[in-house]
Amino acid sequence: MLNYVVRRLLLMIPTLFVISLLVYVIIDLPPGDCVTSQIDELLSRGDPDALNRAEELRHLYGLDQPLMARYFNWLFGVLRWDFGLSCQDTVPVRDLIGERLALTMVMESCTIIFIWTVSFVIGVYAATHQYQLGDYVASFIGFIGLAVPNFLLALVLLYVGKVYFGLSIGGLMDPEYIDKPLSWTKFTSISQHLIIPVIVIGTSGTAGMIRRLRANLLDELQKQYVTTGRAKGLPPLRLLIKYPLRHAINPFVADIGHLLPEVISGSVIVSVVLSLPTTGPMLLGALKTQDVNLAATFLLFVAVLTVVGMLVSDLLLAALDPRIRFGATSEK
Amino acid sequence: MSTADLRYPRQALWADYGRAGIGAVLCGLPLLLIDVNRWIASLLLAGFLLFVAFFLRTALRQRTRYMLGPDTLCADGPAGTLVEWSRLDRMKLSYFSTKRDRSDGWMQLSVGSAGGRTVKVDSALEGFYDIVERAARAAETGGLELSVATRANLRSMGISVAGQEETA
Repeated sequence: MLNYVVRRLLLMIPTLFVISLLVYVIIDLPPGDCVTSQIDELLSRGDPDALNRAEELRHLYGLDQPLMARYFNWLFGVLRWDFGLSCQDTVPVRDLIGERLALTMVMESCTIIFIWTVSFVIGVYAATHQYQLGDYVASFIGFIGLAVPNFLLALVLLYVGKVYFGLSIGGLMDPEYIDKPLSWTKFTSISQHLIIPVIVIGTSGTAGMIRRLRANLLDELQKQYVTTGRAKGLPPLRLLIKYPLRHAINPFVADIGHLLPEVISGSVIVSVVLSLPTTGPMLLGALKTQDVNLAATFLLFVAVLTVVGMLVSDLLLAALDPRIRFGATSEK
Repeated sequence: MSTADLRYPRQALWADYGRAGIGAVLCGLPLLLIDVNRWIASLLLAGFLLFVAFFLRTALRQRTRYMLGPDTLCADGPAGTLVEWSRLDRMKLSYFSTKRDRSDGWMQLSVGSAGGRTVKVDSALEGFYDIVERAARAAETGGLELSVATRANLRSMGISVAGQEETA
């Protein structure tokens, strides 16, 4: 296992480096920079000093340096937890992302727990009750979840909440707690506001997981060893847990790595629709204004989460089921 | 059956030394050259220690020779131990691969007999197949129950254990 962990880590480090480099270069590729829009605004106001101001701002943000020099400055800064200056309000990126990153992580963690819990229960039920009413209902929910875009569901819930229940669903906490230190009442407020975003963002992931778990478990349940177990009088629940379920949850574990980036990227538009103070809307703004430091920092965090998620899922899979795949050759 | 003297090939050991060295440099160099944030520093330090542990394990492997006999498997080295086939009480054959299609991986055999430490050998070891085959025979004779993964991996190497054929 040590050998495996070492090899995976050695793959992880260059992967993160290449991702960060590509992200930084691609955000910088379009013509212009984050100062351009600020200068356009000054010029439209008739400011005669706008062009001199542009040079000052470019120097301040380091935009007068070559791209590679800026990239390595930013990269070494990341190791010091200093992500440079953001063009939005000229504040350090570190100060901008602090609470948003924490709220995003709380929301995404809750969403993943929701996806796993709901899809596990429904998936197992649907597979063990194939072609019964419960299976059809679960399949129907699954298809609806896959077919309905998250932002549409968010809009519908906003409308229903406001018109029929008089509830304000937007935001992640009541307005009086914004910018206040964490307290029990703020925590309660966040927990209450988390329910709708978690359901909205988690629906499509849940639907996909239900379909996968149902299909895998049905495959296992039709195998000969299950029939043998039944014939020998094993209790159904024990028979289910002992082997088929163990094999069927492997794709569940393997999905950890994919789930994390899917949930984060899927939540950007939902966050805009529901006015959630997460990283999504800020990332969108940073990409639109070519705020390279801010956007690259967010995307680096997503990349780190993805790569770490993949590592965790691969390690769990290696521990759970270290089997050779049929067709792959073993070394002798 | 005579006793076979088995070692890890030089090429495989140098490849592992290379991995340990590259990893230690990648994790250790930022700690030496940059004033790293303490949380990131703790992650880098953990990585550095892991690669150092891997280096030490590779050195241990280089100094160990495995002697496969009809009755025992002896790991003769700094952390040596002996496995008696007649008292075999644990055996696990795992397959690891860093590729997504799980190809080009390697096997790892863990065996141990009552009261003794577990011996772990990788498929890079010369004569790995012979050790696995001997361990499988010992498991068959001793009626040792093997995991589903171990049985599948044995089957992929063309080795079957009587009484434990896969029914899945």
